Amino acid sequence: MSDPARSQFAKKIASADHIDGIRCLRDQMHEQMEALLPSRPVEQLNEQLNEMHDAIISRAIAISEAEMARMGKGSPPVPYAYLLFGSGGRKEQTLSSDQDSGVVYQDSDTNIEEVKTYFKELCTLIVENLIAAGYPPCEGKVLSDNPEWCHSLSEWGEKLNGWFKEPEWEAVRYLLIIADGRCVYGDSALVDALKDMFYTDTLGHPVIIRRMTENTMRHKVLVGIFGQLLKERYGEDAGSLDIKYGAYIPMVNSIRLLAIQANLRETSTLERIRRLVKERHISAEDGLGYEQAFRFIMRLRLMTTEQIENGVYENNGKLPSSKLSKEMTDELKSSLRLGKRLQKAAYKQAMGRLT
Amino acid sequence: MVKKTFLALGLMTIVFPVVAFAADPSGAMLDMGLNSLWVMLAFILVLLMQGGFILLEAGSTRMKNAGHVAGKTIFTVGLAALIYWAVGYGVAFGGANAESTLSKFIGWGDFFVNPGTSGDPASEGFPSAVFFLFQLAFAAISLSIAWGGFAERAKLSSYVVFTLFYIAVIYPVVAHWIWGGGWLADHGAQDFAGSTVVHLSGAVAAFVATVLLKPRIGKFNKDGSANEILGHNQVFTALSVLLLWVGWFGFNAGSTVAIGDGFFTYVAFTTMLGAGAGGVAALMISWAVTGKADITAMLNGTLGGLVAITASCAFVDPWAAVVIGLVSGVLVFYSVKMFEKLKVDDPIYALSVHGMAGIWGTLANGIFATQELADKVGVGTGGLIDTGSWKQLWVQLESVVFAGAFVLVSSFIVLGIMKKVMGFRVTEEQEIIGLDLSEHGVYGYPEQLKKPGQGIQG
Repeated sequence: MSDPARSQFAKKIASADHIDGIRCLRDQMHEQMEALLPSRPVEQLNEQLNEMHDAIISRAIAISEAEMARMGKGSPPVPYAYLLFGSGGRKEQTLSSDQDSGVVYQDSDTNIEEVKTYFKELCTLIVENLIAAGYPPCEGKVLSDNPEWCHSLSEWGEKLNGWFKEPEWEAVRYLLIIADGRCVYGDSALVDALKDMFYTDTLGHPVIIRRMTENTMRHKVLVGIFGQLLKERYGEDAGSLDIKYGAYIPMVNSIRLLAIQANLRETSTLERIRRLVKERHISAEDGLGYEQAFRFIMRLRLMTTEQIENGVYENNGKLPSSKLSKEMTDELKSSLRLGKRLQKAAYKQAMGRLT
Repeated sequence: MVKKTFLALGLMTIVFPVVAFAADPSGAMLDMGLNSLWVMLAFILVLLMQGGFILLEAGSTRMKNAGHVAGKTIFTVGLAALIYWAVGYGVAFGGANAESTLSKFIGWGDFFVNPGTSGDPASEGFPSAVFFLFQLAFAAISLSIAWGGFAERAKLSSYVVFTLFYIAVIYPVVAHWIWGGGWLADHGAQDFAGSTVVHLSGAVAAFVATVLLKPRIGKFNKDGSANEILGHNQVFTALSVLLLWVGWFGFNAGSTVAIGDGFFTYVAFTTMLGAGAGGVAALMISWAVTGKADITAMLNGTLGGLVAITASCAFVDPWAAVVIGLVSGVLVFYSVKMFEKLKVDDPIYALSVHGMAGIWGTLANGIFATQELADKVGVGTGGLIDTGSWKQLWVQLESVVFAGAFVLVSSFIVLGIMKKVMGFRVTEEQEIIGLDLSEHGVYGYPEQLKKPGQGIQG
């Protein structure tokens, strides 16, 4: 997509006043992006793609707000921020990412229950509209219409305290989700405040880092001891590589661990790597290697098979090895070796802090 | 109290005068008694291995076939006993044609065996009855291995027909060649307890069956990729390996058919090493290649180690037993992958575990056998490493190729005709509802599975 086309596209999204129009635009965007995939540098492509997703999601939220008003429920009673978690939070959405979202709104002294109800209804509408726009809901129910993920700032504070006090498996998973949270719409100062609480608590509880490490290390990099790629052996995807869980997620997890310990607020993996280098947490040479490996894995991730199921864009994160050329296979192997080294380094650093 | 004791002892000597007055048994008599006790124990152990096969086959297949799998094993062992008694034993060990050239290829005589009630210590190491039982148990094991290729889709009637031909002719002919004084025995073929005779024969029959039956519904996708049809109980599968492992001490160590100087304990010792090495190697290789320490692969490797050491357990040094087991574990792992690539559906991995490891174990004699042990057993010569001669390896290759080819061709004829005449495989509907229901009318797990149609009225 050339730059004029890009801005024209953004304009169209901004002026869409119904969710069906947005869906139409998204379908067009898919076709154009797919055509661009082989030729453009992946980072630029990823940036454009995520800009588009952000624009679509923001517009869907604004449309939902307007629908609320039309239904006589008024406008938002207090400022709020709509958060994206997961790949949306990391600005790493593919053509078929699902919804992981939450809301933080300002505390109000009066009408506490009414405010809660308003946001509950608004979020239900937003999630529905986003499904209509082709974003499948998160299977783990990390969604703004789930009361667990829609709170006022002070409620979030209590929530976090609870998780920190009893860091069992689920709580640690939630904390890791919060770390990737990013404001896509609304008052970003609220998200900053939430993040402040998160980082103060995390750095004050060294045991949390260790629990986070234990929680994330179970996704193994898919390269065997002979340097061979570990492919799916059975079923429809036999011969495919699980790019999502065998390459992408392990790198994301390791970099996130390093970033949290360094108190970095960036959420995108590449930005995190650059800041880690800048603040001398990792060497420039390592950082360059990791960046390159991660970019390559992102490219493969964009190549994974996607299909439309029940009207939403789905993707199993798997790439048939027949789609890889000899050069790509070699590059993947060396990227995975780097990923494995990174995972080891992150593990050592996190576990070494307490011993 | 003392009085009562004396009275009791006195009465005992009147009731059981033998205890007090029998003459001491001769050394030969004692020797025969001990031998027969040992072979009897070995027979019991080998028969108990059928329990292992029940668990192995049932555990590796699905719930809907479990009752059928278990029941047919018991039934065919019973049928095999009758057939082996009437015909099979005579073909394997009958000596009525010993003078003719035909005896190189087939035994004759001793049909409807009547072994007599006791042995003659002057001319026999053990009574014939116990030898018959022991040999029968081997035949039944080979048969149960062949069933691996039938699993989950063959008609019950085809089990009956194949048992007739396999136990009456196919297995006994191979047994005759190698153990009954046939032409391979003359060449000095070393197969101590049956890597070729029992395991390879069974596996080749399983191969023919699985090829003629074609894969189970759902095993392979249209694009050629394989699906994993997981067995319904991994604990059964693991227990089966333990049962087989224990039984194998009857299989291998029992094959000395003598107490003698205690050589059977050495045979048991190498057997243990081979089994352990097979399991360890398979776990390591599966972990290294697939990134997961696969339990099924490890269990198959353990069995593969046992199968391979079966031929060589009496002929090799301890270090060689370990090497044979290690190689076998790796071989079985890759063999499973290979058969899957070739789109041969092998539900309980019989082709890899008994076939490939059987071939390897037989050939391993030609490499690792020592002259000293070959002389002790009195069969063949030392292998390549000890003697530097290729002779034994050549003989071993001969037994693999000819025994394998014979079973391949004869099974193909029997099963091929059977397929044409009476049908070999159940219908698609029967396969989907499960053989428990289609062949026997009830599920092995009635509470877990509903009969089709049951839900409609209720």
